[in-house]
Amino acid sequence: MTSTVDAPTAVGRLRVARRRRLVLVLATFLVLGVALATLALTLGAASLPPGRALLALLGAGDAKDVFIVHRLRLPRVEAALLVGAAFGLAGALFQSTLRNPLASPDILGIASGASLGAVWALLGLGLTGLTVSGFAFLGASAVAVAIWFLAWRRGLHSVRFVLVGVGLAYLCSSVLAWLLARADVREAQSALLWTVGSVSDVRGEELGLLAGGVAILALGVALVSRTQGPLALGDDNARALGVHVDAARVGSLLLAVALVALATSFAGPIAFVALVAPAIARRLVDDGGAALLPSAATGAVLVLVSDLAGQHALFGVGAPVGIVTGLVGAPYLLWLLATNDKRSAA
Amino acid sequence: MLTSPRETSGEVTRPRPDLVRQRARRRTLALLTALACLLVIILASLALGVRDILPTEVWNALTAPVTGNQDHRVVLEQRLPRTGVGLAAGAALGLAGTLVQGVTRNPIADPGLLGLNAGASLAVVCAFWLLGITAPAGYVWFAFLGAAAAAALVFSIGAGQPVRLALVGATVTALITPLITLVLLRDPTAFNLYRFWAVGSLTGRGLDTIAALWPFVAVGAVLAGALAHRLNMLALGDDVARALGQRVGTTRTLAGVAVVLLAGTATALAGPIALVGLAVPHAARRLVGTDYRWITALAAMLGPVMLLGADVIGRLVLPHTELEAGVVAALIGAPVLVAVARGRTVAGV
Repeated sequence: MTSTVDAPTAVGRLRVARRRRLVLVLATFLVLGVALATLALTLGAASLPPGRALLALLGAGDAKDVFIVHRLRLPRVEAALLVGAAFGLAGALFQSTLRNPLASPDILGIASGASLGAVWALLGLGLTGLTVSGFAFLGASAVAVAIWFLAWRRGLHSVRFVLVGVGLAYLCSSVLAWLLARADVREAQSALLWTVGSVSDVRGEELGLLAGGVAILALGVALVSRTQGPLALGDDNARALGVHVDAARVGSLLLAVALVALATSFAGPIAFVALVAPAIARRLVDDGGAALLPSAATGAVLVLVSDLAGQHALFGVGAPVGIVTGLVGAPYLLWLLATNDKRSAA
Repeated sequence: MLTSPRETSGEVTRPRPDLVRQRARRRTLALLTALACLLVIILASLALGVRDILPTEVWNALTAPVTGNQDHRVVLEQRLPRTGVGLAAGAALGLAGTLVQGVTRNPIADPGLLGLNAGASLAVVCAFWLLGITAPAGYVWFAFLGAAAAAALVFSIGAGQPVRLALVGATVTALITPLITLVLLRDPTAFNLYRFWAVGSLTGRGLDTIAALWPFVAVGAVLAGALAHRLNMLALGDDVARALGQRVGTTRTLAGVAVVLLAGTATALAGPIALVGLAVPHAARRLVGTDYRWITALAAMLGPVMLLGADVIGRLVLPHTELEAGVVAALIGAPVLVAVARGRTVAGV
């Protein structure tokens, strides 16, 4: 008899514990992010001590320092954080909406679509600058729409969605290889950067567009986030809880695709952030839901760390961030796959 | 699961002689048609291109070549090696795909999806980059090694569950691809060699390379043929196969060896060709039913039909340039994968 009396308090206690854990995790990520960002501002060809870097950040101090911090290093940090958050958030949305912890734009061909769009614009049409980003956006969206229509058969079956995505990923990478073989060797080599992703060239108005887009989409995610918990319980249970399942799924996936397309269009398909960030976040927070906010925080920190490592720690100077995230993310996922049978079967 | 309606409809509880005969006739017909297609495509591959050559002249070039005859030179020096590569690589990919699908009981498995191409690519890139090896006869060994290592990794982590196997393959690919890109960004020479290999082309390989490599395909093909009956039992499930006296582990290992031999050779010869190994077994299954002995035989013919067909199409579609066989094969193969994914069987994977 006591259990029925105690149950609400037990749930309440669990809820408090989870909220405390969530706050703790987010605070840790915040501290980590600030520390890494400071580190990123100090490291480089001209090394600045943290004090001078912070002074320059506030606009005071030596004019050269201000230039280095505001023009060279800060945009890169901001881009890494924004892109990472966007990928993390999108990955969490994909995974919770499709109820498959392995659904991610890397595997579904959306990233390859963005690469293909950008490389085609660069090598096929000879475009540069912001237009290339536009083509990456178009490529990612086109693949997403194609998966959608091809996988739709009396509803959106998750396995079908993944398989169609894998097929389109292959198609895109074949055409991409063909474009690279066509072009002048030096142009093709620089276009390779668009196949791995890099945050080194996002600055000025591009950064503004990126920040604005991520903010708007994050607002949209906040509006649909209420439905993610019920959706994770399965369609029937979600319906029983009063969620319009199809509308919620379409809305969430649209937002996720838009986030990926936006981030990819500026930074290229940074490998495996969208897959790994939510997986890490779910382990840290473990609220049984989508873990949207922790995923975004994990993604931001992961990309920032990878970019720092790529610039300063690994392979000499200047490895694009997409290479590092792939090397960190893929082994982690392999480990997840090797150990986590139940979930990977979903 | 992919048998024709004629075989599954009706209340047939024991084999009826007329149906058995009908099925046998249909299978033989499919096999003969595939053989005819293969011969036609071999002829087309020798005859068609920038310079169209009459079939009679192709025959003359093969049987009684005249030195100095431009047509004969094109046939013997360019189109014959190219056709040989298409035959060997196509058959190898068709057989490797059949084996992978049979062993994993997974309709979406193919050597590329399982990360073998990525492993071979990394090894080939390292051969270009570190050792300066550029001859196909040299880097084929690296392709083997890479494919074998990737296969071992993917099978050890993903074995058992079809979807997981595909995803492990994709993940291994994602792990290896950045490494390849890293080398390519550093070394323009390696990149220049790699990009022409990676697009999947049948050109530029000499007859000597084919002569060095066809034994691997032959051994792999013999293994595939020998394993076909075991795959039929395996299709009923591991437990049933065991109950029928089969050593399931041995079958898997032998099939893995054959896949590495076949897919490794194909990748070394023609580059990482996407989706041929996937599309061909499905086409074969639609034509002859679920018996792996027939599927294997048919796949060995449909593989070259698809790859050489893609090559010939690629020569003809663009006016002044060529589309490489790998690109055309992907353009043909992707719709097949979509069709498979939309099929009813996928939900049960």
